[in-house]
Amino acid sequence: MRIGLVCPYMWDTPGGVQYHVRDLAETLRGLGHDVAVLTPAESEESLTEPWMTWAGRTVPIPYNGAMSSVQFGPVSAARVRRWLRDGHFDVVHVHDPAAPSIGLSVCMLAEGPIVATFHAATVRSKWLTAWGPMVRPWLERISGRIAVSDFARRLQVEHLGGDAVIIPNGVHVDAFAEGPSLPGHTRGVDGPTIGFIGRYEEPRKGLPVLLEAMRTVVRRHPGAQLLVAGRGDPEALQELVGEELRPHVALLGELTEADKAAFFRSVDVYCAPNLLGESFGVILIEALAAGAPIVASDLAAFAAVLEDGAAGVLVRRGDPAALAAALGDLLADPERRAELSTRGRQVAAGYDWSVLAQRILAVYETVVVPGAEVTAADADEILLTPDSPGRGTRRTRVRR
Amino acid sequence: MTTTGVWLLVAAVVVLLLLGWTLWTLTRLRRLSGRVDRAWTALETQLQRRAGLADELGREHADALGEGAAHRLAEAAAAVRTPPSGDREAAENALGRELRELPADLAVPTALQADLAGTGTRLQLARRFYNDAVRDTRDLRHRRLARLLRVHAHRPLPRFFDIDDGLGPALSAVPPADRGADRP
Repeated sequence: MRIGLVCPYMWDTPGGVQYHVRDLAETLRGLGHDVAVLTPAESEESLTEPWMTWAGRTVPIPYNGAMSSVQFGPVSAARVRRWLRDGHFDVVHVHDPAAPSIGLSVCMLAEGPIVATFHAATVRSKWLTAWGPMVRPWLERISGRIAVSDFARRLQVEHLGGDAVIIPNGVHVDAFAEGPSLPGHTRGVDGPTIGFIGRYEEPRKGLPVLLEAMRTVVRRHPGAQLLVAGRGDPEALQELVGEELRPHVALLGELTEADKAAFFRSVDVYCAPNLLGESFGVILIEALAAGAPIVASDLAAFAAVLEDGAAGVLVRRGDPAALAAALGDLLADPERRAELSTRGRQVAAGYDWSVLAQRILAVYETVVVPGAEVTAADADEILLTPDSPGRGTRRTRVRR
Repeated sequence: MTTTGVWLLVAAVVVLLLLGWTLWTLTRLRRLSGRVDRAWTALETQLQRRAGLADELGREHADALGEGAAHRLAEAAAAVRTPPSGDREAAENALGRELRELPADLAVPTALQADLAGTGTRLQLARRFYNDAVRDTRDLRHRRLARLLRVHAHRPLPRFFDIDDGLGPALSAVPPADRGADRP
């Protein structure tokens, strides 16, 4: 099948949607499909593969304390049109098309089957309430809608009309399951370790709660260590840790993809103490794939991934005492850890890209029109072309 | 400018705006009608495929299913093609019920079982997408201005296709990765 993927965010900036598009493209190509990607990027050189097309740069717009990127206008429309015409796609798959981005341009210009995935990672509902009705005429052209989580689906239903099938984000399970550990931190051999990944300055990631819990944990397990990975200011963190806890906390800084996998394979327990809803718990799936037992807060998205506690321990968010008890109990119980590790690997297998790519392919197959391909409209034509005779009568007959 | 002139101008602007809105809405409805047609074709394909597979299962694997179940399945598959009461949804529901009641450990070729499972999941997708297209069309047709201006008022409203498309043990037994992988 010839598939055109459209990523609306800068390819060379790290982000969940970019990784999703990259992994999906690679998996589909591995299955023998002809995949092309259209994406903006800071520099054209960061698109190393010949099947990737540069769509220019997005314009950053500060909104509600964060940066949103916008790319809209005749220049990017011309690029989109050329890409659509040259691609001869059976189906185009846009991501987060509600924002004024090349994804929305594709919805306006493409004639043929369009599939859209709603990530809703950066979308805010106040913005959608105002903007949703304006873009709806173009989102109406999407034949098949996918949401990555129940949260994303609800946003879509409430603000953009229409329903969506849920196909979650994927991970490459093999890359996490097998490989080396971090030196000096082999699971079950060196002293017990608890892992945390995230921008530790952001309170919503919950690191202060975890540090508070650690003070209790180290009394019960004097050898316990907390490994903290992620971006942030080390000095501010040291201050947060305090004198007493300092020997028990190791700062690893930002990890590469390979080191992140090794990190998950090394820790005895992975802890996700987040206080606020993340739209999707990819990080938990990566930990599960590496066989790390998990203690996480009881956010809806986390509970969904951990099968309501069957594949990991859920604790009340923002409660250091409950977190300390859960961590202490789990460190003291190797059998329970082994059990969670086995169950976790089974759960993660369902999120492997090979599985999810098949589900996404089933969506493509459902919307593709045999013998036709996607083309680009010359202009967003308002002229009416008369319907072919007999169409209405045929429809009434079959639908009866 | 005289008062009459002003009123004439206002009326002209209103007429122009209404005309523009009507043309735009007609364009949207035309596209939606194409989408509903395509979605229905996809749904119809999956329904036909399911009936074909159920028919095959009922006629050629009667010993694996048991005589009674095989007969009911073949009958339900036939009823879908020519619904006796003219109610397609009821006939499809009856067939779906028969398929859902099949046990997980059927002694039929795995290829057939994988086909059935693959068709089951694709049917769910096709039905969801079809109803989605119908909902978008009905939303637009039911807008107050669309009714007032009688846009597409002479056409029948597309109908939702409501059936229970749950899968049951026999159709969920195959891991998702293998479902209908050999089917186009």
